Amino acid sequence: MTSRGRRTFLVVSGLALLYAGFRIVPGLVREDLVFEEIDDPVGFRRLTAGKSSAGFDPFFGLADQTENNHADAESRVRRNICTTLYGDALGSGEDVPVASFSDYYCPYCRVQTKRLAAMEARPGSGIRIAWHELPLLGETSTLAAKAALAARNQGAYPAFHERLMKSPFQATPEYLQALADDIEIDHERLTADMNGERVLLDLENSAALARIFDFIGTPAMVIGRTVIQGEISERSIQDLVERERAEGWASVCRQT
Amino acid sequence: MSADLRERISTHLGWVSRRLVLVLAASLSTATSVVAAGSESFRNPAVDARLITAENGINPDATSISAGIHLQLGEDWKTYWRSPGEVGLPPSIDWTGSANIEEAEFLWPAPERFTAFGIENFGYHDEVVFPIRIVLSEPGMPVALRARVSLLTCSTVCVPQEFDLSLDLPRASGIDNAAAGLISTYAARVPDDGTDSGIRITSAHLDDAKTALTLTARSDEPFEAPDIFPELGEGTAFGKPDIRMAEGGRLVWARLPVLAAASDPAEFQVTVTDGNRAATLKPALAEDAPAPPFNIAAAVPGLGELAWIAAIAFLGGLILNVMPCVLPVLSIKLSSAIKSGDLSPARIRTGFAVSALGVLAFMWVLAGATIAARGFGLTVGWGLQFQNPIFLAVMLVVLVIFSANLFGLFEIALPSSWQTRLSRAGGGAGYGGDFATGAFAAILATPCSAPFLGTAIAFALAGRAIDIAVIFTALGVGLSLPYLVVAAFPQIVRRLPRPGRWMIVLKIVLGMALAATALWLFWVLSGVAGQTAALWIGLASIGAMALLSAHRIPAGARITGASALAAFAIALSGYLSEADQSAPTAGVDWAEFERSEIARLVSTGQVVFVDVTADWCLTCKANKTLVLDREPVASRLREPSIVAMRADWTRPDESISRYLESFGRYGIPFNAVYGPAAPGGIVLPELLSTEAVLEALSDAGSGRVASKQ
Repeated sequence: MTSRGRRTFLVVSGLALLYAGFRIVPGLVREDLVFEEIDDPVGFRRLTAGKSSAGFDPFFGLADQTENNHADAESRVRRNICTTLYGDALGSGEDVPVASFSDYYCPYCRVQTKRLAAMEARPGSGIRIAWHELPLLGETSTLAAKAALAARNQGAYPAFHERLMKSPFQATPEYLQALADDIEIDHERLTADMNGERVLLDLENSAALARIFDFIGTPAMVIGRTVIQGEISERSIQDLVERERAEGWASVCRQT
Repeated sequence: MSADLRERISTHLGWVSRRLVLVLAASLSTATSVVAAGSESFRNPAVDARLITAENGINPDATSISAGIHLQLGEDWKTYWRSPGEVGLPPSIDWTGSANIEEAEFLWPAPERFTAFGIENFGYHDEVVFPIRIVLSEPGMPVALRARVSLLTCSTVCVPQEFDLSLDLPRASGIDNAAAGLISTYAARVPDDGTDSGIRITSAHLDDAKTALTLTARSDEPFEAPDIFPELGEGTAFGKPDIRMAEGGRLVWARLPVLAAASDPAEFQVTVTDGNRAATLKPALAEDAPAPPFNIAAAVPGLGELAWIAAIAFLGGLILNVMPCVLPVLSIKLSSAIKSGDLSPARIRTGFAVSALGVLAFMWVLAGATIAARGFGLTVGWGLQFQNPIFLAVMLVVLVIFSANLFGLFEIALPSSWQTRLSRAGGGAGYGGDFATGAFAAILATPCSAPFLGTAIAFALAGRAIDIAVIFTALGVGLSLPYLVVAAFPQIVRRLPRPGRWMIVLKIVLGMALAATALWLFWVLSGVAGQTAALWIGLASIGAMALLSAHRIPAGARITGASALAAFAIALSGYLSEADQSAPTAGVDWAEFERSEIARLVSTGQVVFVDVTADWCLTCKANKTLVLDREPVASRLREPSIVAMRADWTRPDESISRYLESFGRYGIPFNAVYGPAAPGGIVLPELLSTEAVLEALSDAGSGRVASKQ
């Protein structure tokens, strides 16, 4: 090859590489974690990820509830933010607790809950997840959440999750019967528990947490002391968990 | 021009013209007080929502108005169709608190498909208007619209929204052109029943176990980018369709996996979209599934299919070893390495393994380049690429040229300077030299392996990154297998076949295989792009081949000419496959409205039917689909004794306005029938019925009725 030919070749392939770099590299680079401290509840911070969640009205959801209940639940939850948020996940010292808020009818929630469950299942994951049901999308959505929590009373919460990933929830007695048979739980007890005190309390607590943390929608997460709105990549979750561990997330739970 | 760009320009032009009309209308308007026909906006980062109406107020006789919810979604935000997909929630409106509303019909513009993380959703992004046809309970009286809108908006987070929009319409006349323009644009995107879009479903089948829905749709105007949205009530969700086109794009075959089936499926309906047209149809379910127009080995290769692809690529790599320019190199390298006995057997074995790695490295470079090329946008989705005339044309050209190469019509040669440099570099000692030997053996083999590697690259472009990696790794393993085998059993070197005549025969056999593939692609192409297009593309690629094999012409000219011909073939495929489109014919031949013509026609004994309509007028559209375009009215209007006139009031038109005023009307829909027995015209009700139209037509002709008053 002549030297001019070689130079042209080099220039052309250099340009091609540059273009390819612009197309491919940004996807590989880690997203920067940008935080914003929260005034209330004190000690927590919000992952802004370059986007702002400002500008939305304070969140209400589509379900109707009375103002009184709201206030009661909120002050009750505020007294024990960490235990309500993380529950059993708070127990072990080494693991970073993750609270996941989702709705069965929100498209990205499926992705997020699947991702989180897979991460937790990995040996040495270093995380423990507390699942919260935050049904915002109407009646069927609330029913699905109640059924999930009722299944939890029988220790079948993961099985229920898995089953709902396969087929959408239907608000019919036949569907609940088939579902109970499939995941091998007692159907009578499931339907009874769906409106039981424990399930309603759980829903109330999760809704109160959502209001306290100003969630605008689902999915939402709290990892350690960081509040995250929306679906984020596994890489970012992993980075956040590392950071929470290194910075000692537990301080936030001692404050309250 | 990309569709997106085209759309943007046309919306922009539309906006400009609407603005102009608006300014003109405003400056000319001397009539009653002009009210802006739009509510206050509800606004947040996800959505900017407004309630709009085409009418500025309620005309004295108006029985219905054309309204709409105008949503402008923020970047990355989406909202959903009436069947949102597996999950999601459609928008809904509660009209409680409104005054003078009898009924509000919510219309759904054709959705688009969003796929993210394997979840299928159907909905809208950027901007959408849901046209709403509002029927008044008291005609001509003021209307108060109170809409409580529930809306799910999602980006990476799903935010349910609930907000109120209100709009009061006093008694007034006039049209808000901006609002009317928006409503008409989106009303045109609401799927029809197949009359205007010309889309029909010819068969549909749902298997007993409810695992898949298979259907075929037809249209005289070829489909360009069809999509299928079946609905079987809440609780039933369908996956991504495998769509195949045939007969020059006039036939679409689709199979959709059923992801979830409801225990009690509701009424079955299918929405077929294609660019700007769409139809919602209710086909009957048949006993048998329609057969696909042609079989694609794999729409998306599964694990088993990937193993097959890998096996074939591996075999291909293995065959490359006996190609005329690889085998001699291979035998010499192998035997010389074995004979130079001063190295330990262990060292020889590792050396060969490293050489094999060198071969693989070359293949991985190719794979990387292919993946990068795909990243540049040279991508075609699996399952659809065999319907893409451009992809087919590229493949056809590649295969024809490479099979000609195998038949010995021309040679692909590396520059000689490269050859010497490469073989010198390969002579180095140590593992580095071994590695280079492998890599350079692979490069030196390119004059023979190019037809296969080229074909593999072209096919692999259609695959996912993982497919590409698997194909090239398997090719590399196949090509380096002799090194690995010899490393394990050194004595096998003596058994290697000697180069000879059989190698030429092998080349020809392989060339025939490629030619056969080219023929098959030609057949597929004639199905997709039509026979004429396929013929031209075939001729162009044969021309390119002939040029390449003409040894008397200098190499530079040969290559330039062949590339030009190949480019011509590919461009042709894109052009021809779109060329033969014919506009669908409507049910009734409408004459242009000409007020002065009416009296003349009536005097000759004709009956004249006048339809004043506009694109934004939703009741007019309902009249059209439910009565005017339907039998028996449509055939009645086609009769020679009846002249059907249509006045289009989409843009303000002074003569039409005056015509309406002569009846004391300021709004539409307006329909009137003239005839010898009714020279002054019989005015029909706003909401047409088949009986009323037929009766008026016969009355106007027969003379049973005098005239209006």
